[in-house]
Amino acid sequence: MQPHGFLLTLDAAALVIAQASANAPAGARAGVGLDAVFPALVAVVRRYLDHPSTEDGAHYLRTVTLDVDDVPQTYEVAAHRADGLVVLELEEITGLDVEAGLDAHTPRLRAFVQRLRQAHSVEELCNIVAEDIRHITGFDRVLVYRFDRDWHGTVLAEDGNGVLPSYLDLRFPASDIPVQARELYRRNRLRIIPDATYEPVPIRPTLTPAGKPLDLGQSVLRSVSPVHVEYMRNMGTGASMSVSILVGDALWGLVSCHNRDPHRVPLQARNACDFLTQIFALQLFAQERGAQAEQRLALSSVQSRLLGFMAEEDSFIDGLLKHPHDVLALANAAGAAIVTEERCRLIGETPSEEQVRLLHDWLSAQTDEAEVFSTEALSENLPEAGAFADKASGLLAISVSKKYASYIFWFRPEVVRTVKWGGNPIKPVAEPDRLHPRKSFEIWKEEVKGRALPWTVPEVEAARDLRTSVIGIVLRRAEELAAMSEELQRSNKELEAFSYSVSHDLRAPFRHIVGYSNLLKTREGQHLSEKGRHYVDTIIEAAFSAGTLVDNLLAFSQMGRHTLNRVAGDMNALVEEERRKAMRDIPAERTVRWEIGPLGRAHADPFMLRLVIENLFSNALKYSRDRTESVIEFGRLPPKDGEAVFFVRDNGVGFDMAYVDKLFGVFQRLHRVEDFEGTGIGLANVRRIVERHGGHTWAEGKLGEGATFFFTLPLRGEDI
Amino acid sequence: MANLKPILLVEDNPNDIELTLAALEAGQLANDIVICRDGAEALDFVYRRGPHEKREAQDPAVVLLDLKLPKVDGLEVLAALKKDPQTRAIPIVMLTSSREETDVVRSYDLGVNAFVVKPVGFDEFFAAIKELGVFWAVLNEPPPHRGGWPSNV
Repeated sequence: MQPHGFLLTLDAAALVIAQASANAPAGARAGVGLDAVFPALVAVVRRYLDHPSTEDGAHYLRTVTLDVDDVPQTYEVAAHRADGLVVLELEEITGLDVEAGLDAHTPRLRAFVQRLRQAHSVEELCNIVAEDIRHITGFDRVLVYRFDRDWHGTVLAEDGNGVLPSYLDLRFPASDIPVQARELYRRNRLRIIPDATYEPVPIRPTLTPAGKPLDLGQSVLRSVSPVHVEYMRNMGTGASMSVSILVGDALWGLVSCHNRDPHRVPLQARNACDFLTQIFALQLFAQERGAQAEQRLALSSVQSRLLGFMAEEDSFIDGLLKHPHDVLALANAAGAAIVTEERCRLIGETPSEEQVRLLHDWLSAQTDEAEVFSTEALSENLPEAGAFADKASGLLAISVSKKYASYIFWFRPEVVRTVKWGGNPIKPVAEPDRLHPRKSFEIWKEEVKGRALPWTVPEVEAARDLRTSVIGIVLRRAEELAAMSEELQRSNKELEAFSYSVSHDLRAPFRHIVGYSNLLKTREGQHLSEKGRHYVDTIIEAAFSAGTLVDNLLAFSQMGRHTLNRVAGDMNALVEEERRKAMRDIPAERTVRWEIGPLGRAHADPFMLRLVIENLFSNALKYSRDRTESVIEFGRLPPKDGEAVFFVRDNGVGFDMAYVDKLFGVFQRLHRVEDFEGTGIGLANVRRIVERHGGHTWAEGKLGEGATFFFTLPLRGEDI
Repeated sequence: MANLKPILLVEDNPNDIELTLAALEAGQLANDIVICRDGAEALDFVYRRGPHEKREAQDPAVVLLDLKLPKVDGLEVLAALKKDPQTRAIPIVMLTSSREETDVVRSYDLGVNAFVVKPVGFDEFFAAIKELGVFWAVLNEPPPHRGGWPSNV
């Protein structure tokens, strides 16, 4: 117990003294009735017991003047209940303090509330409270101290008279206030040590009548830990007081007051400080909530926009990719990425695709993977991420699909800050038997690296909400797709039936027309006139081309139904076979120069790939037949976007790039039938086959100067 | 040449019959050409049942079989003949309009000897029929006949 007052514990019913501190006036000792020593107190205690306070902690009863050894002495009396006893604590006050009751503080408190209301920022609020508390208590220096997530404290505001050094902006390591102390601060809002050099006073007897040491958790005179006293001495302070700032139920920070010399603060003034701090905490709470609400509102409008965009598109990914600004705004991020097993799409300032892939792999490997992951210091979780701290020190990630390991990431760059510590935060190793507080409070500068601005609660919530929306959209899409695929299957069946009957029934009449017309021509030709024979020829030609058309159509429709049977194979061998096949139909007098480069291996269905090459070769031969020498080139370009690129080039009639889009369409022709025969299905087949393999096709050409047709096939690991 | 095995043409469409006959004619084959208009009749012919009960006991040199036939269709005829050890050796050529892959696959699964999609072009069609006739009726050496016909006649 501290010696700036004395303590009595009383049996609540009989008001007989059970315990007394050693510094209590001579008559006050265990076993003596309160009425015998301090008759003036009996009524005060009775009233307290009859009207118990609903509040926790020591309760100020009143100021009394007692005759101690025939000398009148004024005390402030506080009471609380502990272990079934009434604990009375009496603090001496001087005549001057007597004047300064709670009433004296009332105008000050009123003005304080007024000023708090007008404050706009947390810092401003803190400054007001520091000033007022120093004014009420008369300490040399008052600090407002805020805990961060790691329980390091930062001095946000300070008011002082210059006697003690300024600690403004300094950080204090979490180890300065151990976890047990923090818990005590949460329960008992105000502590005071008027004289750091005090000699502790014992309580007699040590144990309560129940046989336990008295619980002094709520006591105002309670002794503090010797470590703390040593800490104060090392800091150069002779007296201290601290008031806890509780926002909600959590310890937000402290108002920490110091004096170089011993300094007393009357209970009344302390109560005023406590009151003031509580009002301040309320205001703080409102401020923080207001700021969050404002941010939530702003983010929710971004979110509903994104939701609309996603709903408009077939894939939610497109909805996001088309509105990169909103995606970034949702989490106030500098960069974002949408990562699935196959693809990685980047928005804004991000690490490289490879690095994002690394993050993706790391995150999907986490077994306790949460829906939302956020960190402001990624390299502390994943040391490799230090390499791209400038792009992604902050990571906010939502998992969109666990099954397909799809994520949306937001990135924040590193913000290098210089933090001034009030002493080296790396605490010297404590001796095993006893804790030693640090001795040096010299400013210790540290550059904090690998950290981004922390993600706020509304930002993390916005990300979580987006996840819910995305999952909703994905689920709905899946349902729609399921319905659509059923529909597709049905119409596919119908199409199959249709193509079957075309195959059997529509081909026959054309064959018959051609057949009979030919018989007519060969067997009865001599009875026909020149004109008649011309008519028959035309009938044959027309029916033949109609029949060919049917054949081509059937082949085209079969292409879509044919299942892909991919194998890796030598492309040059395949091309050589097709080249020979193509040359079979070429009249001997035509000159064709083939230029076939090294083609390597390809991963495709050989049957289908043959059709692609066959079509491209027959096209190249057809459109270059008027050249004195046809030059047909087949080559392979360096891979692009994970795909092998092939091309077929000819020196034929070429085409106008204006019509390039029509080139690959079904039945699209760019030439007159009289000039170049064909049904216009060859390139449509090429495109269809290539696309079924996951590749794509395009063409380049110029009228009269030849054409080049490109196609790509996705590369597999072994082909690269 | 006496005792030349007949060619069995199973086809329901009269136009196709006429055109095929014209083509076979052009091939100048000496074989008789027997025409059945549906699958049931084709089986009757092979097994010498019903109207064909009285015919000479002799396998056809080749069966040119259309796929789509009334009553018993081409695939069923194919299946029946290829399943029976007595008739398995008879060469069967599917001669059809169909370009459906499934038909081709099914036919080969059932043991067809050849599958020919009738070309639309007249010259190609004539050439195909001529070659088919010459190959199967003249050039192809069938396996030696094992024993007599079953006593189902």
